[in-house]
Amino acid sequence: MLEVNRREFLKSSVAASAAATVGIPLTAVQASTTSEAEQDWQWDKSVCRFCGTGCGIMVATKEGRIVATKGDPDAPVNRGLNCIKGYFNGKIMYGKDRLTKPLLRMTDGKFDKNGKFKAVSWDRAFDEMEKQFKRHYNEKGPAGISITGSGQYTIPEGYAAAKLMKAGFRSNNIDPNARHCMASAVVAFIQTFGIDEPSGCYDDIGLTDTVITWGANMAECHPILWARVSDRKIADEEGYKLINLTTCSNQTSDIADVEIVFKPGTDLALFNYIGREIVKRNAVNHDFVDKHCVFATGPYDIGYGMRATSKYAFDAEKDIQAKELEITLDKDEAIAQRKTAGMKVKQKNTKKPVKHWMIEFEEFKKGVEPYTLDYVAELSKGDPDESMEDYKKKLQILADTYIEKNRKVVSFWTMGMNQHYRGSWVNEQVYMVHLLLGKQAMPGNGAFSLTGQPSACGTAREVGTFAHRLPADLVVANPKHRAFSENLWKLPAKTLNPKVGTHIMKILRSLEDGKVGFNWVQVNNPFQASANANHWIKAAREMDNFIVCSDPYPTVSAKVADLILPTSMIYEKWGLYGNAERRTQGWRQQVNAPGDARTDVWQMLEFSKRFKLKEVWGEKSIPGLKSKGFEDGKLPSVLAEAEAMGYSPEDTLYDVLFAHKENKKVAWPDEAVAKGHANSTSDWLGDGWFPEKALFNEYRQFGVGHAHDLADFDTYMRDDVRGLRWPVVDGKETMWRFNEEYDSYAAKGSGFDFYGKALKALKTGNLDKPTSKGKTKLAHKAKIFFRPYAAPPEQPDNNYDLWFSTGRVIEHWHTGTMTRRVPELHRAVPTAVLWMHPDDAGKRNLSRNDIVWIESRRGKIKAVLETQGRNRPPKGYTFAPFFDEGVFVNKICIDMTCPMSKETDFKKAAVKVYKA
Amino acid sequence: MANSDSINDQPKMGPNGKPVRPFVMPDSISGKLNVWKYLILRRFVQISTLVLFFGSAHWAWNYNELPIISGNLSSSMLFGFIPLADPFAVLQILATQQSLLTEVLIGALIVLAFYFIVGGRVWCSWVCPVNLISDLAGKIRKKLNIQNAMQLSRKFRYIMLALTLVLSAITGVAAFEWISPISIFHREIIFGLGSGWAILLGIFIFDAFILKDGWCGHLCPLGAFYSIVGKFSFLRISFDTPTCTHCVECTKVCPEPQVLDLKLASSKGYISAGECTNCGRCIGVCPENTLQFDLKLWMTQNNQQHLQAEEASRNSNNPTETDLRRKAA
Amino acid sequence: MNSTSLKARRNFLKKVTQNTAIAATGGLVWASLLQKEARATPYAIRPPGALKEDDFNAKCIKCGQCVTSCPYDTLTLANTSDQIPIGTPYFIPRNVPCYMCTDIPCMKACPTGALTPELEKIEDSRMGLAVIDIENCLSWLGLRCEICHRECPVKGTAITVEHHPRKLSDHAMFIPLVHSDACTGCGICEKACPTDEAAIKVVHPKLVQGVVGEHYRLGWKYDSSITQQYEPEALKKDVPVEAESTGLDWLNTGEL
Repeated sequence: MLEVNRREFLKSSVAASAAATVGIPLTAVQASTTSEAEQDWQWDKSVCRFCGTGCGIMVATKEGRIVATKGDPDAPVNRGLNCIKGYFNGKIMYGKDRLTKPLLRMTDGKFDKNGKFKAVSWDRAFDEMEKQFKRHYNEKGPAGISITGSGQYTIPEGYAAAKLMKAGFRSNNIDPNARHCMASAVVAFIQTFGIDEPSGCYDDIGLTDTVITWGANMAECHPILWARVSDRKIADEEGYKLINLTTCSNQTSDIADVEIVFKPGTDLALFNYIGREIVKRNAVNHDFVDKHCVFATGPYDIGYGMRATSKYAFDAEKDIQAKELEITLDKDEAIAQRKTAGMKVKQKNTKKPVKHWMIEFEEFKKGVEPYTLDYVAELSKGDPDESMEDYKKKLQILADTYIEKNRKVVSFWTMGMNQHYRGSWVNEQVYMVHLLLGKQAMPGNGAFSLTGQPSACGTAREVGTFAHRLPADLVVANPKHRAFSENLWKLPAKTLNPKVGTHIMKILRSLEDGKVGFNWVQVNNPFQASANANHWIKAAREMDNFIVCSDPYPTVSAKVADLILPTSMIYEKWGLYGNAERRTQGWRQQVNAPGDARTDVWQMLEFSKRFKLKEVWGEKSIPGLKSKGFEDGKLPSVLAEAEAMGYSPEDTLYDVLFAHKENKKVAWPDEAVAKGHANSTSDWLGDGWFPEKALFNEYRQFGVGHAHDLADFDTYMRDDVRGLRWPVVDGKETMWRFNEEYDSYAAKGSGFDFYGKALKALKTGNLDKPTSKGKTKLAHKAKIFFRPYAAPPEQPDNNYDLWFSTGRVIEHWHTGTMTRRVPELHRAVPTAVLWMHPDDAGKRNLSRNDIVWIESRRGKIKAVLETQGRNRPPKGYTFAPFFDEGVFVNKICIDMTCPMSKETDFKKAAVKVYKA
Repeated sequence: MANSDSINDQPKMGPNGKPVRPFVMPDSISGKLNVWKYLILRRFVQISTLVLFFGSAHWAWNYNELPIISGNLSSSMLFGFIPLADPFAVLQILATQQSLLTEVLIGALIVLAFYFIVGGRVWCSWVCPVNLISDLAGKIRKKLNIQNAMQLSRKFRYIMLALTLVLSAITGVAAFEWISPISIFHREIIFGLGSGWAILLGIFIFDAFILKDGWCGHLCPLGAFYSIVGKFSFLRISFDTPTCTHCVECTKVCPEPQVLDLKLASSKGYISAGECTNCGRCIGVCPENTLQFDLKLWMTQNNQQHLQAEEASRNSNNPTETDLRRKAA
Repeated sequence: MNSTSLKARRNFLKKVTQNTAIAATGGLVWASLLQKEARATPYAIRPPGALKEDDFNAKCIKCGQCVTSCPYDTLTLANTSDQIPIGTPYFIPRNVPCYMCTDIPCMKACPTGALTPELEKIEDSRMGLAVIDIENCLSWLGLRCEICHRECPVKGTAITVEHHPRKLSDHAMFIPLVHSDACTGCGICEKACPTDEAAIKVVHPKLVQGVVGEHYRLGWKYDSSITQQYEPEALKKDVPVEAESTGLDWLNTGEL
């Protein structure tokens, strides 16, 4: 070991000193070792297809096939490293079951919902798709159609989808799987800062001296970032502190100084304990808080994002579903909310869960007052085998560490906090702690929300492929934002639909209750990835609807669909992704897609050719629309104004939205950027423009000058650029936002400037309600929220006696549609197992490797039991990852969401486990 | 055939005074079936044993969730609780000075007891899968009328037996088990084929072209082991002396013809040699129904009485049983 | 003695000699075959509870009951074409590893005790030892793999991860290490290893493990303080003298 490290050190120090003296980048040094056989390989920069870390990779192609990849040594995120998924980027496109022809369910040559999939031409596929789309569109209006999109869309794809839906079909029913992933983080960003996405960047890992992880198994889910954390830890064992807060002991705990195993949902109380300690110990950074922050709170009775009706619920589900309307406070919840136990609380604010108002610091203090060490420890201790004394000590260490005067702290979190029935609250609580201490938006200090998908930030959030969003943090409900967008998009006024569309969970529910009849699945596998799947599969297969699924592989969603469109994968198209630290990175098309597989951009653009303005821009009925300037329930016809603007009713959406004059000027071929690389989208469209570039450059206009500045397309494609962190102002990226020293948007002399514009005028009030009539402006300030502990509506009981949570393993990505096609990854982790404490297994007469039933109120599935290995759940807790369609965990997960963000809580179901 | 030249001669008479009748294969199917009865039964037992092992291993054949028979002929478990084991294999392991679990010892005793009752070499002709090969070789040899290319005493197998045990003790491994074509063949059928068929091909060539009954009749130490067991076993081919015409049809088909020492048989009333495999071929071809399966105890008693009666009648000039039968015929 | 009986006797003697000769030749060939076969691959990966190779080879009756009892089809019996003593059970972890059933059905099925019933816990089995090829292990090269560590059923003891600086960048290396005192040799790591040829392999410990001299104890591991309890009787004993010291020879021979 020692020997090898020494050798490794010698080797690397030689390489480094050579690079230093000659002044050439590392890549050049390594290139000299390329063998003869590899001389004709073409290398180009690209990015990893998988998580939100955004590692750079290099792709080698030969004769139209990817022959190798390597970690990009010049990429600052990963410096040539990859995790084991990244190692296999080159293999994901070559699964044996790759789809290469459009497939339509047919009987006797005609579409039949109950027919078998048969290969058809693209024309035939689009003919049927158009027919079915128009049937539902004309029948139900813009609200009757939908797209389930993705945080894995490239930026041009997400932009094309959003524009087609919002400006073309005038429908806001587009929502990405990022809703399942990042929505809670978004709500908290918007409510706290008025603008989305983290203030810091990955460099914080190197600059801080404390990393605290909350509900984030970074060791497995952000492996390369965790390697950076680990590097700091081993360099400074004593000084660099790691605390892992989790509900299940995992690999992230392996090098942590302190592991705090807490009960699901009680993170809400833990934060308030820290908040209370900060207040009690007089550790509030008043300089910072007084100058840059205000205090706020909101209603507690906001429900749990479940259906308000029991009409569609299975019998077993009804007791939990009823809590959407009314709950009875248990002892702990009553203390947390300063009420009495047993009190019945009607959930009155389910429709307006996001409303909030300013309070005084004194009110905030009152709010956190009940969260004493004794109370919180009693409530939150997650491991029955741990002594209360030890646990309390750990909580004290946690508070001490945050509060320690000169200690820099970074808090990381992912799905443990986002996929939470109070995800937005708990996200706001982490900012509460950091803001109270003034440890935010500076090098080495800050709460940093990690993302799960490669472009959850870059596309889903920044482009705004959400039911309520427009690009660059604009929202459809805001008339100014609509006007801005209509202007930029050259649309007649009132083309955009002001009514927020259906979020992804609601799209599925609407399929079940017949409100949505058409759904296009893009870069996503919602029928496997959405909780309570039995409902949605049934709805998709048995209701009169039409599901289109664009996918390179036969996924669960493809199987559920009526039409499957074979789709190009990442290196078969041009694209850009934006990672968790606001870094936008682009790549060129490296190889062509097999068979008839086509890019998502081409699919959308080609489909848009089938719609004339007169079909979509006439008067449309929107049930429930109520907005200033609009007739109730109606979108006006904008055809007249369109004609005045020079459009013809016969123009297609393709002409108006995509291939308009400006965009057509962006010509293909574009040798300066392409350097010999192909663009299949352009070739198939055949009208001489470069859609990915044109769309990106059109899109970036939304952000330029609005603190969302992106560089132009060509910059990201430059050989010497490895992504840039926005806002990119005067060609310079921004590492710490809101900090005068680093962010050109922060006003000079302010020190810190939380300049985000959203929700910056509030009523004032006390902990219970707003008391003022008028709103106070709070420009340039961040909000410190008081959010109470609320009990999870479904908890283990006598019948369903175990917690169940789902998530990832490092070897597989999401629903495994790509990684399970890589033989090596499949061999390594062929199936999802259920982790359980060995004593819990023993109590049930089970032992490891037994096949067990996992049953919840919503369904049951079989899995292999594991009591050893990487995850070590405390007693009473179980975990199974969701990558395996054979162990379909979403059949048992509950479809409750954070009522504010509508993000599903995949982490807190109650199940029973017994031998199969 | 031998008689065809002497059509006009007086028919040859047997020692019992009856004319010697050659065996003629009946034309009727039922007649043929009667001749082949034991052959068919043997093939059925041999093949179904293989199939039962194979089915239990590969298709989890079971009775009340108990696997029918798992393992192979070396050692197995019947219905999940009755152990069976090859006593010779166990003996070899014991010769290596290894201690064994009682399970396999009990299994060996059960099997030993079984063959002790039904005849030691019943193993050879009714169970052993190599028998299929050696029988085939025998048939081909007869068809092509091939002569022996070498000579070897049939007693040689006992040297092999001794050698097996000595080598086991010396090398520390069960000497025959490690090269046994029987085990190899059986294993490879049940657990997947390797190149064990080559050994079988060797046996086939040896038996067909080099030495008649070369493997089973001269070399196989397992056969030798069961021959010894067979010395004492109960189920036997009985020999009804009065009916025998010494037509020697039986010795023509017997794979161990030396066991059909008719004189000895006549004196004992049954085929007493341990090498007899109880295959029943002789029964099918005997034109006089002289040979039958019977139990030793009963036969011994019977024969004693018969011999005594013969002796007595000779003394008293009363017609012997043989005479009476002759009359009846 | 008449000539016939003499001839018969001579014939008999000739026959006996011949048979003995055949037996002797055959026996020698046979014995060498056995020796060779038993050493075919003395380092096969055996089912859990297998005795040490010589005893196992002697005791195994090659019945395959362990094979049929394995719920994962892990085990096979070596056939004539394998490089392993014929008929004995073994497994190739890269194909199907041992999944370490807690009830150890293969061991229970063994009628002879070649798989010893003394094995009570599967974690105590020693089928082999995992060895990492540190030149081709992705984790040793710096990538975040450690699949072997995470998939190891005795994770935390058999394969641990140590963190070391990478030097080329500010990312730590996650270095998996195998510990022979806990590794069962089940081969799940070898099966799971994502490299083209597994960079972690299960082999027979004899092939790779060294033994520290009996005469030496590691000072930082071996706990013993100064012992003041001498046994005077033992001290009085004569120190045995080497029968033939070679010292004198050296002194008396050769040149200076």
